[in-house]
Amino acid sequence: MGFHIVKRDNCPLWKKCCLYLGAVVLALLLGAVLLISLGVDPIAYYTRMFTMGTVGNKIAYKVWINYLKELVPLALVSVALSLAFKMRFWNIGGEGQFILGAISAAFVAFKAGGVLPNGVTLLLMCLAAMITAGLYGLFVAALKVKFGTNETLMTLMLNYVALYILVFLGEAKADWNFFLDAESARPVFASFAKIVSFPGIPMGGKFTLNICVILTVLIGILVYVYLRFTKHGYEISVVGDSAGTAHYAGMKVNRIVLRTVFLSAALIGLAAAFKVGTAGILSTAITDDVGWTGIIVAWLSQLNTAVIFAVSALICVLHYGSTVAAATFAQVDSSFANMLQGVILFLVLAADFYTRFKIVSDKKGGN
Amino acid sequence: MAQQYAIELKGITKTFGSVVANNGINLNVKPGEILALLGENGSGKTTLMNMLSGIYKPDSGSIYVDGKEVSITSPEDSKRLGIGMVHQHFKLVDVFSAADNIWMGREKTGLLLKKDRYAEIEEMARKFGFEIDPRKKVYNMAVSEKQTLEIIKVLYYGAKIIILDEPTAVLTVQEIQKLFGVLRRMKEEGHSIIIITHKLNEVMEISDRVAILRKGEYITTVNTSETNEQELTEWMVGRKVDLNIPRVFMEKTRPLLEVRDVTIRSDEGAVAIDGVNFYIRGGEILGVAGIAGCGQKELCEAIAGLRPIEKGQMIHKGENIVGLSPKTILEKGISMSFIPEDRLGMGLAPSLSITDNMILKKYSDCKGPFVDRKTGRKDAEDVIRELEVVTPSADTPVRRLSGGNVQKVLLGREIKADPNVIITAYPVRGLDINSSYAIYNILNKQKESGVGILFVGEDLDVMMALCDKIMVLCHGKIMGVVHAHKTTKEELGLMMTGALDLIYKYEDKPAGIAKDTRFGEQEEEA
Repeated sequence: MGFHIVKRDNCPLWKKCCLYLGAVVLALLLGAVLLISLGVDPIAYYTRMFTMGTVGNKIAYKVWINYLKELVPLALVSVALSLAFKMRFWNIGGEGQFILGAISAAFVAFKAGGVLPNGVTLLLMCLAAMITAGLYGLFVAALKVKFGTNETLMTLMLNYVALYILVFLGEAKADWNFFLDAESARPVFASFAKIVSFPGIPMGGKFTLNICVILTVLIGILVYVYLRFTKHGYEISVVGDSAGTAHYAGMKVNRIVLRTVFLSAALIGLAAAFKVGTAGILSTAITDDVGWTGIIVAWLSQLNTAVIFAVSALICVLHYGSTVAAATFAQVDSSFANMLQGVILFLVLAADFYTRFKIVSDKKGGN
Repeated sequence: MAQQYAIELKGITKTFGSVVANNGINLNVKPGEILALLGENGSGKTTLMNMLSGIYKPDSGSIYVDGKEVSITSPEDSKRLGIGMVHQHFKLVDVFSAADNIWMGREKTGLLLKKDRYAEIEEMARKFGFEIDPRKKVYNMAVSEKQTLEIIKVLYYGAKIIILDEPTAVLTVQEIQKLFGVLRRMKEEGHSIIIITHKLNEVMEISDRVAILRKGEYITTVNTSETNEQELTEWMVGRKVDLNIPRVFMEKTRPLLEVRDVTIRSDEGAVAIDGVNFYIRGGEILGVAGIAGCGQKELCEAIAGLRPIEKGQMIHKGENIVGLSPKTILEKGISMSFIPEDRLGMGLAPSLSITDNMILKKYSDCKGPFVDRKTGRKDAEDVIRELEVVTPSADTPVRRLSGGNVQKVLLGREIKADPNVIITAYPVRGLDINSSYAIYNILNKQKESGVGILFVGEDLDVMMALCDKIMVLCHGKIMGVVHAHKTTKEELGLMMTGALDLIYKYEDKPAGIAKDTRFGEQEEEA
């Protein structure tokens, strides 16, 4: 007997939540199968992973500080990407924009750190990162507006341009290259953590809340309001929905595209400044793949700013938790988190299908 | 012995979620007859036909072909049973040639594309009496050519039962006649044809019997020769409908918008509008007739300021508006609504709510950085109430509304802006009788309040009833402006094809100006 697919009229919210939650649980169960086959107790592993080793740990506050350090760039990049995605501008150049932002921030840190007051240096780092990354994005937007180039390809390829600039800086041992540690014979990036870094606010005990966390949440709220209630946000949704209609309504479509892409890339640059400013050192792995993961987060959240924060928190738990768990369970590599993330994404997309369609088996005589 | 039907449907039911698209439909077609399937938008005509062509599966009910019960679960099944459908939106691969579009759906194509396919398909087309270049790429084809290709495709696959979904919606009067000729010939050869259409005059002309659906229910089937348009409409709508479009006679005021010697280029750089002169007065509807793609779109866009004007003037209330931004033109009270073929592409943002679409043209008027959705919501609710838009709420995305309601929202917004000139192109495109009349009423009300209306239309009968004057365009040139109540369909048809040029008929008359023009006086006064 056959079956056919029927479109759902309306899926109530609780059902949606159940479906998505079910997808995550199913992904964990699949992960558990893998863990068992490796001879690892999945319950012990998951407990370790989801508590990120905070339970029974005397320095649990450090875990939280490090966790937030990972969360901030991811959440901010996802929020930034959602701006461009809302306009159907497929900015997959988060990596490249992040890298250029990071280089500029480090540049300012090396040049101004210790010379100018710390607060001013940090502000300049943010500004430099935002402008460089913003211009990098603007370049692609301008090409698209002017010549109709494909932004997906352009941003993708420019990622590698940025990456190799960073690699070059990391390996060119020369007098002019102040990014490298002068005392080391091998080319290694120099640290400026002692000169300048983003301050933390003591929250009682030893836990300090880094100012970047507060700023990120603040920016998240601002972007939410921007997209939801402002004229600019309205323009973005109209342009994204139908550029013809936007033009017809008298909107200056090109200007809106340029402005939004600049803003999106600039926020990615800011995320890079936060990252560099808390790490205190450049590295070729500085992005931590946030430019890619951010795309996944933005889509999983269906471009909803509040959900972006929740999803990126979850993804960070997976990543951070799996690193912690890898220390206890030597058999399981920390990239287990990547696999789990992939399975979750896949199953959530499948769940998405069920929120919009349902499968009905054929009734008798219904051929 | 009972008569053998080519195709018979018994008790077909199909639901989408909670929506019952078809409920217990019975339908039959005899061999060698043309059956017209009539119904308003959303009455389930297309759904029913899609079940015959294997796109949907019925929830219950049975289908008989040549008296045998069959199960159609895929388009292949349907093809094998000799059922072919020409969809409203053509299913052709644009970059393929005509022959390849037919070839790719063949059962046994083999691995190689052989040269002889062109000859074979050309010969086959000639056998059925079609002229087609099998090497021509689809993207180079006119709409009527694409349709011909679709019909040839269906015939090539050996269809005995041919379904045509609104085939005439995109054709001109002359092309429709040609299509009907083809249908009659196919009928003589023993094919059974089901034709879906909104246009009653076509139903009366071409069909042998008419089946009527209303809101997913089967109403009746009648012999065309024993019925009339009034009766069909009543069955279709479920109540008495006045089929006359009232023409309101208004005291004419001075021209609101004058277009002088305007030349406009199309996107490709060709001259789309060539030295056109005309004017619109307050309280009149000026119809624009012409074969599709004769510069109507470019003209509308140019008036709204969306397309540069190469030369000429446009004078609105004594002021030249050429070169002003779309926004300034809008503020002067000229509103433009253009319903393109896909009906959503221009003027509305489909995924946004009705409220958000209401504020599209004035979102930037309020002070501060925020969008004023409160008045937008009020406007949306007003329009929903006044124009009887069927929607769950003002927050529903426009995409979810049916065609008629979408167009009401669009026109409603334009009227809310309180314009003095309305440019409207194809406002009833694809709409059923009820919704169309609602739109005509809206336009007539605007006319009564002294608004000047430029109505770009397709249906000549409607234009002759609704408009005061009709301007005919052919390849960007004006063929003449005639009084709607004095002209005939034939005259308009000849002008549309360029065979009759009224402008040069009376040589003393300036181009494109109706006899009662006060154009000259205007100039003196100025």
